[in-house]
Amino acid sequence: MNKSTELILEYAKELAKQNVAGSGDCISVKSGAEMFASDKDVRLEDLTENDVLKIKLSDAEGEYALHARIYAAKKDVSAVCHCHPAWVAPIARCGATIPAVTDDMTQIVGRNCKTCKNTAKAIVRNLKKRNSTLVSSDGCVTTGRTLNEAYTCVLVLDKAAHCFVASAALKKNVLINFFEAILMNVIYKMKYSKKNQENLQSEEGNS
Amino acid sequence: MWDKNKENELRQLVKDSGVRLLEENLVQGTWGNISARLDEDHMLVTPTGLDYNHLTPEDMPIVQISDPSVWSDGKKPTSERKIHAAVLASRPEINACIHSHPVFATIMASCRMPLPAFSDELKEVMGGDVAVGAYGLPGTKKLKEGTVAAIRGRNACFMANHGVFCVGRTMDEAFNVLRVLEKNVYEYIRRMTLEKTGKTEYTDDLLFDLFVKSKS
Repeated sequence: MNKSTELILEYAKELAKQNVAGSGDCISVKSGAEMFASDKDVRLEDLTENDVLKIKLSDAEGEYALHARIYAAKKDVSAVCHCHPAWVAPIARCGATIPAVTDDMTQIVGRNCKTCKNTAKAIVRNLKKRNSTLVSSDGCVTTGRTLNEAYTCVLVLDKAAHCFVASAALKKNVLINFFEAILMNVIYKMKYSKKNQENLQSEEGNS
Repeated sequence: MWDKNKENELRQLVKDSGVRLLEENLVQGTWGNISARLDEDHMLVTPTGLDYNHLTPEDMPIVQISDPSVWSDGKKPTSERKIHAAVLASRPEINACIHSHPVFATIMASCRMPLPAFSDELKEVMGGDVAVGAYGLPGTKKLKEGTVAAIRGRNACFMANHGVFCVGRTMDEAFNVLRVLEKNVYEYIRRMTLEKTGKTEYTDDLLFDLFVKSKS
């Protein structure tokens, strides 16, 4: 089994274990002019080696074309997770934006996470300045320099969605200041996560 | 000065505790940090920004409690070492600290709501209500001072829009504080949701209905 297939299987199991997987999920990693992607018709918890597809970026269609367009638009991205976590999905359904509710969200995701139309063009546009987006009537698409980073984005985004919903329902949202949120995001990308991502890139074989 | 065997045991303990945080879903990614006291002026802490699964016991740096800018061995220590040092300096009975971002406790932290000591378990394990420390950017003096003030006389506090800080006489005790806090926050949210909706059985949909009402 090649390294990319191993990675897809490992993180598919992790996403399922963390209860952030749903039907229609698809995760991929870029490998040169190709990508390895999970079969979108197979639930992540049921994924086997035979369900990991090797697809030429230039020939990708449907769900896989979305991943290919993201890789083409964002050169620093090596992994994409298209998932439907329990707390993210209802927010995406009502077209809301998750604001800066937690420090870890502002660091890894950005100062907010907006919902866009469910089209490849809109998703790619929303990902221009962020590494994650909510997708209307669907779920979320997260990206990363490594699959580990895209996976962590899904976890942190779902937790932020849960915090956003619960704190508004029980008391009120207290948001992080705009400039502090931007600052944390920059520090995370340029400094805090740098060494770990370099280690992971070399381990995942996409350095 | 401490015994080298004790140091090696604590190095392994800190490493294992980091992995435990991930395995129990009490933190995501590289966030959160852990410390264990070596002697009255030294502690072992987790390094900054590295995946717990990939750390070795030797990666844990030794940090001086009276001046946390001084460290040796291991990799660059967590930027939150000043909070760990301040808590260990002011609480000689405490030997282990855990800072993490568990889901339910982070909800309280994100709406900056203290947790009343509504159960005997909370009174016994936390020592009373759980307060929220003032917001500060990670690694700042403001965050340190807010956390130290909020945890005074207690075994845990919330860190505004961030996570929690828990302490114990041992690492197991600190983990127990963290787990009890998470469990009781869930119970508190469940009770508040039922009270607000007038229902008798909790589901996540109830919380979402309240959210939709709050936004309309």
